[in-house]
Amino acid sequence: MFKYMKTLNYPVNIKKRDLKMAKYLHTQFGGSNSELAAALRYFSQKFSMPDEKGKSLLNDIATEELGHVEMIATMIKQLTEGASVEEMKAAGLGDMYSEHGLGVYPSNASGVPYTTAYFAVTGDPIADISEDMAAEQKARAVYENLIELATDEDVIGPLLFLRQREIIHFNRFKELYKHYKKRGY
Amino acid sequence: MLFENNDYDFDVLSLAGFSFSEPEQNYFGFQDDALVNSKEGFLRGNMWKNEYEPYKGMTYMPLRPTCEREALLYQIMEKDFAVNDLNLYLDLHPEDQKIYEKFKQYTKECIELKDQYAKQYGPLSLDQTSGGSYEWMKNPWPWDKSGGSMYV
Repeated sequence: MFKYMKTLNYPVNIKKRDLKMAKYLHTQFGGSNSELAAALRYFSQKFSMPDEKGKSLLNDIATEELGHVEMIATMIKQLTEGASVEEMKAAGLGDMYSEHGLGVYPSNASGVPYTTAYFAVTGDPIADISEDMAAEQKARAVYENLIELATDEDVIGPLLFLRQREIIHFNRFKELYKHYKKRGY
Repeated sequence: MLFENNDYDFDVLSLAGFSFSEPEQNYFGFQDDALVNSKEGFLRGNMWKNEYEPYKGMTYMPLRPTCEREALLYQIMEKDFAVNDLNLYLDLHPEDQKIYEKFKQYTKECIELKDQYAKQYGPLSLDQTSGGSYEWMKNPWPWDKSGGSMYV
């Protein structure tokens, strides 16, 4: 089961409102390469991992990813806090405002709601872990795009941290992939 | 205390040794210097020296705790991060006794700091609930910016 710890994985302290950046960040909340997709992907795949290494790694990375979902949602909340309707409209967030107000809703940057169709569970550890490796690289690339779009170091700091986690997770999944290949999967 | 000299107040460092080469995957024959310390690891988001790949020379941004409470919280997050990063490695290398010893050390430090925090400021997890009144639901929550003193 899960128990909550009342901290973020890494500090988020954004002082300057930036609605455009909030819109871009949605890609990592509810987009195809998002932290939410990562968390649910590994959480779901863990049930068909064949040994202790796979079960533990998928479980533990899924748990960490849920903490990253919280970080991204916190960034969106802090970037939009206190925004007026006019500001939301000017930043291209009028559509989002009409349905969600200043609430934080898991969609991609274009407002398309999150869907579990973004990932697969095949029951085959080689296929699943190959997808996981690709997912980590795609998320790393998206973080680099977001870092290029960002102008505030309060935003860039957490993004650099999250990007680095994609690198570590990719390396761990790659190790697990090699382990299963060696075992004949 | 760890933060008295603004230990977290680093400027962005210039690029040093950024490499596209593959990280070493086999930690057998592990050296004591395979890991950075937990503070550096937390700031980087990566405890492993040979797996660190900064983007375009950007290493990390300064963290500036504004009060003692926040400073203590950052230390807890730092230890908790180290525990997590070593945890993922140990899932694949449970036989690595040296890393396991580091893992136990960070776990112990994290528990001690969390206990200290709970006594001074309230629980970070429900099983830390003690004292004369129910504190768990009180602000600040980790996503709060105002109304919560921006402590996370």
